[in-house]
Parts: sequence; C-alpha cells; structure tokens
Amino acid sequence: MANNGINASYLGAAQLVGLALSAVSTAAFGFMSTPTYIALALSFVVFLVLLQSANLLLYFLRKLVLAIPLLLGVCTLIFILIELSPGDISSKFFNPNVTPEVKALIEAKYGLDRPAIVRYGIMLKNIVMFDFGRSMSQERPVFEIIAEALPNTLLLSAVTLLIIFPTGILLGTVQGVKNGRPADTGISISSLFFYSMPSFWLALMLQLIFGTYLGLLPFSGPYDLNAFDQTGWQHFIDRCIHLILPGLAMGLASAAGTARYMRSSLLEVIRQDYIRTARAKGLPEGVVIRKHALRNALLPIITLMGLSLPFLFSGSVLVEQVFAWPGMGRTILLAIFEQDTPLIIACFFMFTLVVVAGNILADLAYALVDPRIKFD
Amino acid sequence: MRRLSVLSALSLAALGGGLALTQGCSGGSSSGPAVEADGRADMLVIPWQSDIGQLTPGVSESAADGYIMQMINYPVVDAAFDCSLKKAPGIVTEWEWSEDGTVLAMTLRDDITFSDGHPLTAEDVEFTYDLVRDPVVASPRVSFVDRMVDGKDPLVIDDHHIEWHFTQAYDRDTQMSHASSVPIIPKHIMEGADRASLRGHDYSRNPMSTGPWKLAEHDPNVRIVMEPNENFTGPAEDRTKLKRVVFQIIPEYNTRLLKLQAGEVDLMESILVSDADALRENHPEINLVKRGYRSNDYVAWNLSNPLFQDVRVRRALAHGTNVDDIIGKLLTSSDGTAYARRSVGTITPELCGVHNDSITPLSYSQEEARRLFAEAGWTDSDGDGILDKDGEKFEFTLTTNTGNSRRAQSSVFIQSNLAEVGVKINIEQLESNTFFENLRLKDYEAALAGWSAGLFVDPSGLWHSDVVCAEGQEDCTPKKYEFNFTGFSNARADELIDQGLRTPIPEEAAPIWMELQQVIYDEQPYMFLWWQNEIVGVSDRFENTEIDLLSPYGHLQRWSVPADRVKY
Repeated sequence: MANNGINASYLGAAQLVGLALSAVSTAAFGFMSTPTYIALALSFVVFLVLLQSANLLLYFLRKLVLAIPLLLGVCTLIFILIELSPGDISSKFFNPNVTPEVKALIEAKYGLDRPAIVRYGIMLKNIVMFDFGRSMSQERPVFEIIAEALPNTLLLSAVTLLIIFPTGILLGTVQGVKNGRPADTGISISSLFFYSMPSFWLALMLQLIFGTYLGLLPFSGPYDLNAFDQTGWQHFIDRCIHLILPGLAMGLASAAGTARYMRSSLLEVIRQDYIRTARAKGLPEGVVIRKHALRNALLPIITLMGLSLPFLFSGSVLVEQVFAWPGMGRTILLAIFEQDTPLIIACFFMFTLVVVAGNILADLAYALVDPRIKFD
Repeated sequence: MRRLSVLSALSLAALGGGLALTQGCSGGSSSGPAVEADGRADMLVIPWQSDIGQLTPGVSESAADGYIMQMINYPVVDAAFDCSLKKAPGIVTEWEWSEDGTVLAMTLRDDITFSDGHPLTAEDVEFTYDLVRDPVVASPRVSFVDRMVDGKDPLVIDDHHIEWHFTQAYDRDTQMSHASSVPIIPKHIMEGADRASLRGHDYSRNPMSTGPWKLAEHDPNVRIVMEPNENFTGPAEDRTKLKRVVFQIIPEYNTRLLKLQAGEVDLMESILVSDADALRENHPEINLVKRGYRSNDYVAWNLSNPLFQDVRVRRALAHGTNVDDIIGKLLTSSDGTAYARRSVGTITPELCGVHNDSITPLSYSQEEARRLFAEAGWTDSDGDGILDKDGEKFEFTLTTNTGNSRRAQSSVFIQSNLAEVGVKINIEQLESNTFFENLRLKDYEAALAGWSAGLFVDPSGLWHSDVVCAEGQEDCTPKKYEFNFTGFSNARADELIDQGLRTPIPEEAAPIWMELQQVIYDEQPYMFLWWQNEIVGVSDRFENTEIDLLSPYGHLQRWSVPADRVKY
C-alpha cells in the first residue's frame, strides 16, 4: 500500500513536472518553440521510466492501439456531420457582388465538387500519413496552425491545473480538518457558489471586476497587445499575468469541486484506525494530518487529474473566445464558422488524442493507487 | 509526496508574485509618450472580431483584408463618399472617357515605388488584371473584367499611360471602379508565382507596400501592427502622422466593449444601440459617430406561397406592422437619437441622387390592414381571432437567423403587431448557413433578413426575373445568383433594370432607378423595415478622423493627435 502510494505520487509529480516544464518553456520562448516539444517529450519519457514494469508498458501500448479505431471513428463522425450541414467553404462567395463561377472555381480548387466518398478517402489517407493538409480558410498547412494554437491551450491548461489542484486540495484539507466549524461552512458555501456558476458568466465577472473596475489584471489576449520593445523578462512577466484571469475562469469551478472531493476523502481517512493510532502515540495533530491522513486522502484526487484533461480542453472553447486567447478552442470555433473541413478534422483529432491520453493516465493512476487492479 | 507539495507551493507563489508585479508594471513601465524625431506621434488601437486572411490583391476576401490593403497600397483612384462615390486622383492623376464610353484613358504618377524601390508602372497594372482574369486564380473580382476586351484590360501605351477597352458602356462609376479597385501587384516579384496557389502565397505575409503604411508585424489571431512605410515616395501630405496602428483580434463583442471603456483600444465599430447610452454618460472621451445607412432589415414574402400572392395581402401586412414603434424601441437610444430610418427599397438613402425620397412608407393602420384583408377575402368568420378564407387560417412561419438579437426581437414585435389584426405567426430561428441556404432554395414562408447595400446601383441580382427559375423549368441556370429570394417577377421592373444598367451617365440613370423603386415598393415583395446606422466609438484625442460609409477609418495617414494629448 505504501509502495503504491509512492508510485502514485511520483506519477502526479511527473505530470506536474511535465506540464510545468511546458508552461515555463512556452512562456519563456514564445509559441512554436522547440523547447516546448522537447519538454513535453522529456516529461513523457520520465513518465514511461517511472512506469518501470514491462507489463505496464504493454498495457500502455495496447491502449494506444485501441485508440486508433476510436480516432478514426471520431474523424468519420465529424466528416459526416460536416457533410450533412449546409454550405461549405465556398459559401462565403454566395454574395451579390460575386458571380457564380467564382464559387464553382473555389469548389474545384478544394476538390469540393468531387463525391463525398472520394473526399472521405483522401481525409483517411491524410490522417494515416499524419498530414492534415492545408487549411482552406487560412491557406496554410493545418499543422502550422495547430503548432501555434496547441502550446497556448496546453499552457492555459497547465495554469488551470495549477489553480484547480493546489487550491482545491488546500481548501478541502482545511474543510476536512475544521469539519463542522465556521471555516468549513464558509468554504462550503463559497465553493458551492463558484461550482454552480456558469463559466461564461464567471469569465465576464472576472473581466469586469479585476479588469475594468479594479484595473488590476489584463483581461484579454496572451500579452499586452499595445506593448512594444519589451525586454525578455518584461515579456515573460507580461505573459504570466495574462494567464491569471483565463486560468481562474477555467479553474475556479473545478477547484471548488476538487475541494469537495478532498474534504470527503480526508474525512473518510481521518476516521481510520491508523489515524487514531497515530494520535494515540502522541504525534502532534499537524503531523498526523500531513504525514498520515493527507497522503492517503490525496490518492483519489490524483486520479481526478487524469480525468480532468478532456474537460480542460472543451472548457477552453468558451474561455479562449472571451479572453481572446489564441488557442485550440478558438481555432476550432473559427474552423467551424468558416466550414474549413481539414482544420475541423485536425482539431477534433487533437481533442480526441487528449481525451485518450487523459483516459490512459486515469487508468494508470487507478491501477497504481489500487493494487487490486491488474494490467493484463 | 514532498515533491508534490513543493511544486504546489511554488506555483502558488508564482501566482502571488504575478499579482504583485502587475501593479508595479502598470505603474511606470515605458519611457512615456513622446513625439518622435520625425514628427510622428501616438498610436491608434482598433479591436477586430477576426484576423486578416489574404493580403494579395485579387484574392483577398474579408473586409479586414481590404482595410489593411488600403493602408499598404497607394490607391489607384482615391474615393470619397458624398451622395455618390467621388473619385479623386491616386496613382492615376488624370482620366478621360471616349465619346461612346467604351475607352477609358489613364495617366499614372511616376513617383510611386514598391517598398523595394522598384517603380510602379503600367506593366504592373496589366499584370494585376491578367491575374484577376485568369480562371486558375479564382479571383472573387473576376467579374470586373467581364465587359472588358481581353488583351486591352488595360492596353499599355507606355510606362505611365494605359487605356481600358470595354465591350460596351455601362454605368460609368461602375466601369471606373472595375478599372481601379484592385490594388496593384508587383510584376517583378509575382511574375513566376504559381497562380493556382496564389491564395496562401508568401506575398500575403510579406506584402510590398506602395502606400503610407507597411505591415510591421502579424501575430496570427493576436495582433496586426502597421508602421509608417519609410520608403514611401508618394505625395508628402500622405505621410503618416501617427507612428503606429495596432489591430487587436478580440472575438467577443463584450470584451471589445470593456477594452474601449478601459481605454485600452481607441476605436470600436458596430456598437449596439443598447450600449450607446452608457458610453455617452460614462465616457465623454469617446465620441459616438454614425457611419451612415449601409445595411437594412426586411421581411421577404415567398411569392410562390398562395398566402402572399395577393398584393393587397402584402400591403395589409405592412399596414399592420408598427415599424416606427419597433425603431423607437430597438434602434433608438434613451436620449432620443434614432440609429435607424424606415426603408422603402434596397437602394440606400445615402445614394441621395438615386434614392427615391418621394416614396412615403405605408402607414401603421390596423383599420386599413383589416380593410385590405377583407377585400382579399380574409375575414375572421369563426370568431377565433385569426383571419380565415375558404376554411384556411392566415398562419405562417417567420424565419430568421440565430445570433442576431435585433432580428430576434423584431420578429416578436411583428408577431404581436400582426396578431392584433388576426394573423398568426410562428417564429423560427435557424442557424445562419441553413437559413441562407433555405432562402436560396426558396424553402421558407416569410423570412426576416437583411442586405448590406452596395454603393453602385445594380438591382438585377435581387429583382430581375431572369434570375428566377420558373416552376417546372428543367435546366434552369440563372444568369446570376438566385438572390431574388421572393421570386419577384415584374415586366416593368425588368425593363427598367435593363434600361438603367445600359445608361452610362449616372444622372441619366437616376430617374429610371427612382421609378424602379416605386414599382417595387408598390408591389411589396418585401415588407421593407429600416436602414440601420452603424455606431462607431472613437477616442476624442484623434483629429482629422474620417469615419463614413466607405470605411470606419478612412485615410488613416491623415489621422493625428495634438502634441499635448499624445497617449502612447
């Protein structure tokens, strides 16, 4: 049990290290930088090394192979949905000032005049080759667009995770320890307040309060868009403070949820015999909580981390729009509005990949936490 | 476990540090505003809903592309708007029409150069239009050369003289516009470019500049920075007075509005009437400017639907709708400023030489509405409050698109107005693409939609019966797009449109267009509602601003800030 606990904490730490590395490097070196990818790759390797045992690796590979039909299925479904919706990229040329032949020329240029099945085949081929082709609306490689947007979303997700878990764990612990006292009730009420707040409204309120009324924090864009000639450090700090409000908008509700989990988990652990033993042998209450109770109560929370990744990505669609954050959420919205099929497919492919990764991480975390689950 | 808690502590500390640093940062960051050595000062910041696409002339599409291209390309012929488009010299200093209106001779300036120092000549103009004509390019402006003689579009006389040869004379303003509204592409750079992939060509990211500005930075989906083109060789008065223009990409309307209120941006387009009051009261430093009547709303009646085939019924519906009341409630601010006027057609009132001011909009009169309904056979014979005729109720679906609160609210007003005269309306909102597709296929009963009016008069796409496919017609290929959504077909209107389009001199065409407006208004294929006046908010520190129908920021090189008000 103890051994598993350590493994789980290593896992959580590896995840955090990876995300923090990518966050720091993205912020420091700007978008599309190789350090970001190196950091991501490194954290992945660290993660695999931490897994250590061979059957874990096998399990991991099998999960990965099983993800292939899922990815293809998602892409197929999206393709069908795009086909069923009226109009395509050439619709914007449906305009009294443009003659019909332009629309026809555009359709021919993007192969939209070919039968759907042919276009589906081309899409499948592209996916297998891991080449998503060219965006029709932006007229550049889809990969280039994703390479610009993805680090921004990962960065925001990383900051959100840093808001969700430390805050949630801290508040939940306070609640667990002060069970039934005013602090517990107070935190309960306020976390319920944030938990039940729609995120778009929370985003607007944060903008209004911290951005406009108090004028404390920037409320849109990835950096101060009116600034020029910033030094490296100024730019780094500028980028960091621009993360705060979108991070809070995305993280506060989940932090409140995590606090609830943490509270109940801690309360359960505190009733256990070994806590009574620890107290009985005269350990100070602080040590009992930190060393004995907290460590065990944290296990389910670590599982929660892996599961939260997909939600971070879907939540980004709204928050990125409100905060003018140039990430995947906005890219996918734009792609849908422009009916840019290759870009839509690629975005959903990336979303699915993240969901798959989140699920695998959650599975692994479960197994590491609970020795009754085996990888075979 | 210790690692985890250390990391958490670090991350919290980092957040706390960030908070503290903000205040430090916003307090005294840079050296403060200053007038540069070259006399340029300050910066104009404009939020945009979406990013630019293509900056290669001929294949650019969006309005944003157009605004940036206006800054970096010296205009072939400059334009101003006053009742009609007024042309002023640009690259072209003089122009002359042949007697029959089919040849247009132009003289080009000899001092305009591309930013690499290469002079702009007649060859570049010829090359630009060669690209536009090429089907491989699929230029949205390919119709410009429809009525030009291939090979003489233009005919190069020498480096600075060209002639445009047209196959026929048509509206002279339109002819001129066709020959002058594509910015010039440098032949020496783009000659070898693959025409099939002109969209997405690197030129779009690093466009040559002949105008007062150059593209200094483009961070996709984040910002576009324009700085003075130091290689500008044109007239000295066209040198920029500002040192920078920044376009921030802010997709959310509310975020843009907050930024305007916080003073982080200086100019915002399309401000909602409902926000104008608060801005006027709390932000006296923001001037609210009306751009003019460019877009309208209307209800289209599907004329193939038996319900709407009787003109008396269509007039009754118009009499039963209190349009002035809706304007008062939705498009008027609390200080009584109206941001809309009633419309009587699809020609904007801004074209004051052409717009028919003598048409009086049908008045709101329930009595008149009931009388006309009764005349057409529609009465409430069973006393259920809904008109009926031969056992059929007067009930239809009014469709509009989602995402437009003005139309959504208007549809409810129309519904309740007409319910009072016994018409039952069911409101349906459809996603925009589906909505327009249904309009095109005439798969609707009544539709609340709108047009953004052109500044040239060409009503053929909207009202000519040539573009209507007759019922049962097998191989129906309309000459133009099927924008005649109602299926309007009127012999006199067709005649007037054909005649008007053949008349080159605008003053001679005006009476024809006036009559056409009257013919269409009498027939009421649309219930014409109103023209909206777009509101632009702009910081009052800017002088020589030009916010009008043509552009919310025309001739940006002339905008300036007095030395004592410089902000950046």
